[in-house]
Parts: sequence; structure tokens; C-alpha cells
Amino acid sequence: MAAGTLYTYAENWRAYKAQIAAQYSGARLKVASSPPAFTFGQTNRSPAFLNNFPLGKVPAYQGDDGFCLFESNAIAHYLSNDALRGSTPQASAQVLQWVSFADSEIIPPASAWVFPTLGIMQFNKQATEQAKEEVKRVLTVLNQHLNTRTFLVGERVSLADIAVACSLLWLYKQVLEPAFRQPYPNVNRWFVTCINQPQFKAILGEVKLCEKMAQFDAKKFAESQPKKEAPAKKEKGGKDAGKPQQQQEKKEKKKEEKKPAPAAEEMDECEAALASEPKTKDPFAHLPKSSFILDEFKRKYSNEDTLSVALPYFWENLDREGYSIWYGEYRFPDELAMTFMSCNLITGMFQRLDKLRKNAFASVILFGTNNASSISGIWVFRGQELAFPLSEDWQIDYESYNWRKLDVESEECKTMVKEYFAWEGEFKHVGKPFNQGKIFK
Amino acid sequence: MALRELSSLEKCLGLKKPNKYSTQGERKVPVLQNNNGPAVVGLVTIASSLVRDAKKTELLGNTAEQRAVVQQWLEYRVTRLDSCTKDEVKVILKELNHYLEDKVYLAGNSFTLADVLMYYGIHYIIMELAVQEKEKYLNVTRWFDHIQHYPGVRHHLPPVVVLRNRVYPSGQH
Repeated sequence: MAAGTLYTYAENWRAYKAQIAAQYSGARLKVASSPPAFTFGQTNRSPAFLNNFPLGKVPAYQGDDGFCLFESNAIAHYLSNDALRGSTPQASAQVLQWVSFADSEIIPPASAWVFPTLGIMQFNKQATEQAKEEVKRVLTVLNQHLNTRTFLVGERVSLADIAVACSLLWLYKQVLEPAFRQPYPNVNRWFVTCINQPQFKAILGEVKLCEKMAQFDAKKFAESQPKKEAPAKKEKGGKDAGKPQQQQEKKEKKKEEKKPAPAAEEMDECEAALASEPKTKDPFAHLPKSSFILDEFKRKYSNEDTLSVALPYFWENLDREGYSIWYGEYRFPDELAMTFMSCNLITGMFQRLDKLRKNAFASVILFGTNNASSISGIWVFRGQELAFPLSEDWQIDYESYNWRKLDVESEECKTMVKEYFAWEGEFKHVGKPFNQGKIFK
Repeated sequence: MALRELSSLEKCLGLKKPNKYSTQGERKVPVLQNNNGPAVVGLVTIASSLVRDAKKTELLGNTAEQRAVVQQWLEYRVTRLDSCTKDEVKVILKELNHYLEDKVYLAGNSFTLADVLMYYGIHYIIMELAVQEKEKYLNVTRWFDHIQHYPGVRHHLPPVVVLRNRVYPSGQH
């Protein structure tokens, strides 16, 4: 089964396709969406990245075996199983049909309509109205098809459902208010069912359907634009300067209005802007600065030998006041069945904790075999308290674990850190053999 | 009838050892005699206990709300569907058709015991529907087709052919 890393910026609907497919197939997918593993605009412009992925675009996939892929549909296809791809020639062709339909019929009007509401593209009334009509046409086609069908192809969820649902995600979140979507009950039924499947939910979280159609966000748009004119304005000042500037603005506006429906290349610029949206406030802001540079340790851990380099570095540099070490053990080991599902449980938790990555490191291990397994891990957090209560986003999983703060100086702590970080050792407290480990970094 | 249904349910749940059932009373209520403890009486009670035996309690619902809706449809099955007259069939189909307009499964967003038992119970009705009627109750037909294709569900029952392309497109929707 496929195992590898997906490079993307956070909350990228194109990457979601691959992530959801992996949830279904059990493919082991690490997601690199935040520093140090991946910094959008830097990592993907680096020579090493471009060597593997000449377009420098994300999502991009690199297998543990070195196999590289770009284009989100190809990645999702690769990470799927036969059931998702369609197991007969007919079914797989139909899946391909709907995946292409999403790309060529849904995405262009969806982007033209939604992007201005997110403030990442200039608003153009004509373009938006045209896009609305296009979206109606597409929804009508889907509604007709889903009239007699539960899912798009066959009687199971397939890659077709994943691709089409993901391409409709922003529409349903931003602009398809109840009155607008009401004429398409079959599409609504199908979409709600899809996003509530556990495999979708693990990646998308709770999706809230639009209640009121979002309008153009002029303020956000202005903020996201490169500030070329601002300094010029200050220098000029006075009344005289106002006039030419206005004219200039008008000209620019005209230019923009003349533009036909935005081309694919621009969409990606828009998405780039979306990805660099201002981040919400840091839940660890109340803590004093720490001397321990977690990223440096993570680099050591990723690139160099754990026992001889990373661990000594960790103990030498760990700031005992600024960080704490915790042991977390899954409370319901009896409910763990197949190991790949248990792994999804761990990686799902990691994904939901995405914004904690900057301030935490963890190694979580699945022990045992199918129907006789347990999950436990060692977590290093900023601060002396358990980090999860600090943000609402982090509270989904942590109550399913028993948490115990370890005495940093104790032998027990030293042993556990060593065994968990190195993925080898006796693991005396567990009593089951090591199955596989996952690193949160 | 109920006994074949229970043995199909056992297979559907992956229970290896078949149970022995008897019936009691005029209406042939199924009875499951356990080796230890009192007998379990009634279709819904037995079905629920089989689900627990098979450790597939998610089929009884994952949340309190979903569990309640599952129970509601199990009750509907024995109190309404099983005792309905010919005239009532149409009312039931109409009710179900309306209910399923915005739903894929009877309870919540996943397959539950309610889908299985309602499928078993309504099968003879759907079997006898003409193509035109199947189109009239389109949402029921779509649900029915999905459930009969659900892995391991359709054991003792013959498949019902469902047309995907509508023959009488002038109907509702």
C-alpha cells in the first residue's frame, strides 16, 4: 500500500481529495503543510522541490520509496483503492468522467464566484452573475443524475464523489444559501451524506453549510494586494495629487473589467493568496519566549540519527521551564480493530491538531495487532499545562486519552522519550510489540 | 417469514453460529431461546440482541439522536409496515418517499439496523410495484436499491430490478 508525504498549504481542497482517498484506502499519508516540513512559497520554490516537482505547485506527493507525483487527481487516484477507482472498466471510466467534470465544469465558475467573497480576487458583477448561472447549470445536471442514485458511480462512495464533493466545498460553505440550493434536493442530500462519512469528516471536520450568501470582501481584497501604491500616496500628499491617482485607479479598474473569465493560472495566484491569509492569534502568546528552538530539534530528528544526534540535542537544549513532557494513552484500546483504522485515528488527530505543530512534537505509537492493540505516545508541549484546552480547534480528540505529565528529570521519562522517539526498545509499560509509529511535527 | 429474515440478518452481521428460533401465538412472533437466561421475544428485540452479539452496535446508532431514530423505524416496521392493509401500502410509500427525499439512510448519515429491517419488511411491496409506481416513489426506490446492494444484506430475497433512466419523466421532480 502506498505510503508517503503530501506537500500542501493548510486547508487546500485539492489536497483534501488525496487525504480523503487515503482515509478510505488506509494509505499511510503524512501531510506536510506547515513549517519546518513545508513553508508555502519557500519550500515549493526550492531547487530540491523543483527537481521533483517542476511546476512548483502543491499538492505534490512524494512516496517513501521516492515516487513523485504532481496534480491532485493523479495523487488521489494513486492513494485510492480499487473500490474508489471503480473496479470495472465502465465504473473506472465513469469515475474519471466525474473527476474531469469537477475540474472543467465546476471549478471555473465556482472560483469566479467564491474567490471575490474570500477577498482574494477583484469583484466583477458580470463575471459573478455569469458564474452563478453556470453553477446552476452544473447543479441541475448533478441533481438529475442523483435523482435515482445514492452516489455518483455504483452504490458506494468512489473517487468521483470525493472529487466532486471537494470541488463543491467552497460553494456550499460560502455562497449556496438555503434559497439558492433548495431547487437541488438530490445534490444536497448526496453532499451532506458525503461530508458526514467518517472518512470525509476526519479530514474536513464539521462542515457548516452557508446560511447567507457571502458578498465581495473589499477590505480583505485590499489587504491581500501587494502594497505598491501606498508609499507613493504618502509622498505625493496634497490635493493636486488626488486627481491623477483617481484616474490611474479608474484605468486599472477598467483593465480588470475587460478581462474575460479568469484563466487557470490566475486561480493559482488566488489560491496562493488564500493560503497566506493572516493567521488567527497564537494561543501560546501568554508564555515568555523560550530558548529551546523546537524547529531546530525537529530538523535534527528528521535528518539525523535519533539516538546519537537528535536525543542528545534534545536533552541538552530542552528548556525545562518553557516546555513539558506528557505521556498520553488511548482510553479505549478495546475498541481498536484493524490496525490501519487505528493509524487513521492517530493521523486524523494529528491533522486536527495542525495548528499546534509549531509548539509541539510527539511520537505516537500503535502497539499490537488487529483487534489487540493499544495507542500511546510521548508529547512535548510549550508551557507547563496540557496544551489542548488552549484552543477550541484542539479539543476533539484529547479527551479520548489519559494524560500524565512526566517528571523531566526522572529515569522513567528519559527511557520513555528514548524509546518513543527512536521507535525501538522494550516499551515495558505496554506489553505489546511495536506495530508502527507516527510523528507529530 | 420473520425466521428467514433473522437468519439472513445473522449472515449479514457475520455471526458464524446460527441460532434456533421458534414462534409463539397466532401472529407467529419469533422467539429466541438462549441457553442461559430467559427467552428473547419479538423481531426487533431479537434483531437488536443479534447486533450486540456481533459487536456491531454502530448499527443501532452512534449518537443518542441516531439511536432514537433507529428505534423509531424499528417500531414503525413492526407496528405499521407489518400490519398494513392493501390500502395503507400507498400511504406508507408516500410517507417514506417524502422522508427519504433528503436522506440516504433512514437514520443519520450511515447504514443502520433500521435500513436492514425496513428493507426486509418492504421487499414484498417493492417487488410488486410496476415500473411507473417505482418512479412515483423515486426516493424509496433509490433507497431500496442502495440497501439491496449493501454488502451482505440481500440474502434470502430476490433482487429487484431498478431502472436508472426514467421511463415516465413527466412525473414529479
